[in-house]
Amino acid sequence: MAAVTSAPGRGRRRQLRVRVGEHPIGYLFVLPYVVFLAAVYAYPFAFSVYMSFYDWFFAAPGAEVERPFVGLGNYAAALADPLVHVAIRNVAIFLAINVPITVVLSLALAAALNGVVPLRAFFRGAYFVPYVTASVAVVGVWYWLFSGYGLVARLLGPLAPNPPFLVNPRWAIVMIALYVTWKQLGFYVLLYLAALQNIPRELYEAARVDGAGWWRSFLAVTVPGVRPATVLVVILAVVVGANFFTEPYLLTGGGGPDNQSISPVLLIYRYGIEQNHPGYAAAIGVLLVVGVLAVSAVHRFVLERE
Amino acid sequence: MSIGRMLGGVAAGALLLTACGGTGGPSPSAGGHGPIEIWYSNNQQEVAWGKAMVAAWNQQHPGEKVTGEEIPAGKSSEEVIGAAITAGTTPCLIYNTAPAAVPQFQKQGGLVDLSKFPDGNSFIESRTGDRARQYRSPNGDYFQMPWKTNPVMIFYNKDVFQKAGLDPEHPQLQTYEQFLGTAQQVVAKGGVRAAIWPAPTSEFFQSWFDFYPLFIAQSGGKQLIESGQPQFDGPTGLAVAQFWRQLYARGLAPREAAQGDAFGTGQAAMAIVGPWAIAAYTNVHWGVVPVPTQNGMPADQIHTFSDEKSVAMYSSCRHRATAWDFLKFTMSKSNDGKLLEMTGQMPMRTDLPGTYPSYFQTHPAYTLFAQQAARTVEVPNVPNSIEIWQEFRNAYAASVINGSQSIDQAFREAAAKIKQLAG
Amino acid sequence: MAAIVDRDRRAVGLTTSAGGRPGPGEGRAWRGLGRLLPLLAGAVLFVFPFYYMVVLSLKQRPEVGPAGVVPVGLSLRNYADIDQAIDLGRSLVNSAIFTGGVLFCTVVFGLLAGYALAQLHWRGREVVFYAMLLLLALPFQLLLIPLYVLVARDFGLADSYLGMVLPFALNSAAIFIFRQFFLQLPRELFEAARLDGASELRILATVVVPLSRPAIVTAMLVTFIGPWNEFLWPFLITKQAALQPLAVALANFMSNVMQREPNPAGALMAGAVVLAAPVVILFLFFQRQFVESSVGSGLKG
Repeated sequence: MAAVTSAPGRGRRRQLRVRVGEHPIGYLFVLPYVVFLAAVYAYPFAFSVYMSFYDWFFAAPGAEVERPFVGLGNYAAALADPLVHVAIRNVAIFLAINVPITVVLSLALAAALNGVVPLRAFFRGAYFVPYVTASVAVVGVWYWLFSGYGLVARLLGPLAPNPPFLVNPRWAIVMIALYVTWKQLGFYVLLYLAALQNIPRELYEAARVDGAGWWRSFLAVTVPGVRPATVLVVILAVVVGANFFTEPYLLTGGGGPDNQSISPVLLIYRYGIEQNHPGYAAAIGVLLVVGVLAVSAVHRFVLERE
Repeated sequence: MSIGRMLGGVAAGALLLTACGGTGGPSPSAGGHGPIEIWYSNNQQEVAWGKAMVAAWNQQHPGEKVTGEEIPAGKSSEEVIGAAITAGTTPCLIYNTAPAAVPQFQKQGGLVDLSKFPDGNSFIESRTGDRARQYRSPNGDYFQMPWKTNPVMIFYNKDVFQKAGLDPEHPQLQTYEQFLGTAQQVVAKGGVRAAIWPAPTSEFFQSWFDFYPLFIAQSGGKQLIESGQPQFDGPTGLAVAQFWRQLYARGLAPREAAQGDAFGTGQAAMAIVGPWAIAAYTNVHWGVVPVPTQNGMPADQIHTFSDEKSVAMYSSCRHRATAWDFLKFTMSKSNDGKLLEMTGQMPMRTDLPGTYPSYFQTHPAYTLFAQQAARTVEVPNVPNSIEIWQEFRNAYAASVINGSQSIDQAFREAAAKIKQLAG
Repeated sequence: MAAIVDRDRRAVGLTTSAGGRPGPGEGRAWRGLGRLLPLLAGAVLFVFPFYYMVVLSLKQRPEVGPAGVVPVGLSLRNYADIDQAIDLGRSLVNSAIFTGGVLFCTVVFGLLAGYALAQLHWRGREVVFYAMLLLLALPFQLLLIPLYVLVARDFGLADSYLGMVLPFALNSAAIFIFRQFFLQLPRELFEAARLDGASELRILATVVVPLSRPAIVTAMLVTFIGPWNEFLWPFLITKQAALQPLAVALANFMSNVMQREPNPAGALMAGAVVLAAPVVILFLFFQRQFVESSVGSGLKG
């Protein structure tokens, strides 16, 4: 009796094992996080996508309002909107400045900090401090520094641009990119510092034996050695950078001189929340997300190829 | 299909259902009496007034208790209210409803039609008189009650003017030419960074404190749009824009935003603002004149922007009868008088100097404001009002502040877009 | 300094031969100096705005020019002013409650999730990980109003600490860190415990948690920054000033009350210093435990 029933029992259990994996308790452990993701990210995003196909606006509960279906109308309007063009241009400029500087500078700083350096704790602290402070707090200082009568303008004397940096249509977005780069650098230095720990010492020994100076061994050992970190840094910088909002909002007063420093997320805020056209804002949002994912995918592909 | 995925899907689906159901929130029936909540701005003096009102009412009406709450009065107050409407968390009354936001709130179904109260129209119109007409919605009803106005005028710093060699009691600020000349002199010799420092930023409401007051004055009281037709792209609007362009081009008004209040901290010689700002000008010997016009006008004919705040009743309100009674209570003659005394802002009442003679005797400087308050113009009550002002501001910033476009072209293009938006 | 890193790594149970102090060239005095000077210059550049912020907050009158950099004529009056304008104590308490709630949820549930994503094997594990990465690319402003409706209307949590905490409750960066950390722990550690018959929960309590200290510290420091500095969400979800965290109070101050202050910039800087100080102090204090390896490990993967 036991021999007959045990065989199909074991088979079924194995089938279950295959279906849910070795440690089904993993589902339980990860459940709170999945519910959180579903409620806080997935649902609002799904709702936003839904809204993007309608001439949607938020109404009081129980109010009877008409929200006509517009299909791809919002998307067409977004692609034709000159402000959206400016915003996309600004993201491109921003990323062109922010990503290379971030990668190069944070790797350089991490490499420098990794060696024997006195006051290492002070340096780590110094580079990390901008990252941990709120933009609300720091923006005031930048205003002070870069205004027409501020320190930087005084130091530059006749070289200072007129109109001053933050209100100069050509400079405004550059200032924002520099500001964000400065602020985020500490975090990426940290990532690189960690990656540097994983490079085997033997490789450096070998390079030195081969007669390579510090620059050669940096290029030949360090840079390839931190490749995975570089991929991560680039992708993170792109994703975070494309979503910049606080800086145009605070540093250049809600869109900057002549709307020259607007960002896509600032437009989402303006159209969606200030003007109550969330359907249109959602269309911009979806386009942004698709764009960012595409760029990240390309980066990852290119960087991981070699 | 993994269990994790299934669970995620179920959770998301359940949440989607609850959100789309929209059955939350109290049903908007014209309810009766009971406790209510109100919000007022976090301006110090208004809070004091608000608390006094609430205390006085609660004493007489223990069964209809009013609870007051402050909300931020700054640029994001409309967003806060809009979000609250969507969530159904608005109070019965908000003593800080901007007329420009009323069309949007109305579209959201968030406001109560005050004309539906039996004495709605009569109370509003008998208190405010002719000006009340500007606060009607397109269908002719009142969805807001005009409350207080801060007529925008030109403040000037008497000490700075004296230092620059100008007469502090009779400044030459009536015509555009005079104004520009005075501005030039005051910057050259008065020791200030700017003659006048309106905010050069692109928020939709900034035009209410540079272009709009002068346009209203120059056009003899026209709104930005009238009967669906933009009014600003004609010769009047262009003249006003040209004047401001001169100020920016000659460096008399900076293109960067000021840190804090420029006039109050002595960085600017003049300010274009209403009497609520006086509380910040304790260190300044200020004088007040009406806004300039192209060729000068007698002061008692000049109109200006009202910078008005209304009170609205919101559809989430359960005890509307109490809310209406409280509303009328706070706008009685004596409570309007308290508002005047405690905040220095002008209630939207007819004939202020006549109604409160003792106040204006002890505060002669405010008489000017009271007189000006009789000639204020509001933003047009049209659909997509905020978007319209944003479009206008974009055009103004590009052509007037930054000079990157010709004023003619920018205004023409904006007018075409705005005409469409106004419906 | 390198020794500290090595000690922590050994504590974690790692005994790889990966270099603790590599770096092309080592110890030559002039090379050290050549590295030190640019680092110093860079550090000064980075820290200067903060120095300026602190000096401005201590000055009586706002000075715009280069003279403003010199710390003379200092007083604490700006701090008194900002405290009067916005109740610093109350706001700090609110910030602490908000941040504390997020920290608690992230550490408790995040540790579980990170462990599940790394060392446990169950169908759909990679799907959840990629979903997490995907969803992180979404800008908050896009999700804002639907989220607000969900929390304020459907859950009825407006004007409450719970409503504030909810959208931030589980910090994905922290979970990412946990996952990375657990990924580089040897599987044998857990297999051995399982062979001994321990249940997963037991393993969690007795093996995983004690080992995770560096990861927890790192995750907490990273998680702290978000809610502490967050302005937009608490601003929307709370009306009562008594509930608002310091970042919101400061932003309100900037847009309203600031006009009336005798030294508006000074008062604002004072508030900003108060907002920034706890984070900076925390970081400097915990730096030694902040092991880079727990962040960057598994980057090969």
